Amino acid sequence: MSVEENRNCPCNCEENTKVDCDLRREMIQEIRCLEFAITELALYLDTHSEDEKALCLHRKYCKKLKELKDKYQKVYGPLTINFPCNKWSWIEMPWPWERGNY
Amino acid sequence: MAMGKGELLMWTYNKTLQYPINIKCPDPKLAKVIISQYGGPDGELAASLRYLSQRFGMPDQVSKAVLNDIGTEE
Repeated sequence: MSVEENRNCPCNCEENTKVDCDLRREMIQEIRCLEFAITELALYLDTHSEDEKALCLHRKYCKKLKELKDKYQKVYGPLTINFPCNKWSWIEMPWPWERGNY
Repeated sequence: MAMGKGELLMWTYNKTLQYPINIKCPDPKLAKVIISQYGGPDGELAASLRYLSQRFGMPDQVSKAVLNDIGTEE
């Protein structure tokens, strides 16, 4: 990881937190993949609503996404305002254009 | 649009990028072109709102759904 990237990383990767940062990136990337797959499956299902295989994949990905998003948000803060929390951290976490949840 | 207890929002903001980008060399001229493709008169935003308007006039379930979902995605 370059110095530039290191500076922009919200968890401020030192040796001890690097694993955590890598895990966070892996998780958010998986969330992105699932969101993308679900969106595209939904568009496909609009015109192929009888396709059982696609419907099964849609179900599977929705379940996985929900579990992963809950897990991510508990640790790294809310991704939407729908996530209940004891403290309003929405305004503290960096925004995407500030490399938040990058 | 319904809001509140049921969490049934018409629009929800996700605090992450759909596709993360890493701008290595900022280029204001190119940025101007890109932002007009996004929000300009012939941009994505205008197209998506057109889809969402057109869905109201569609005769069948499939085309209503397709316009709704493409408009939403864009």
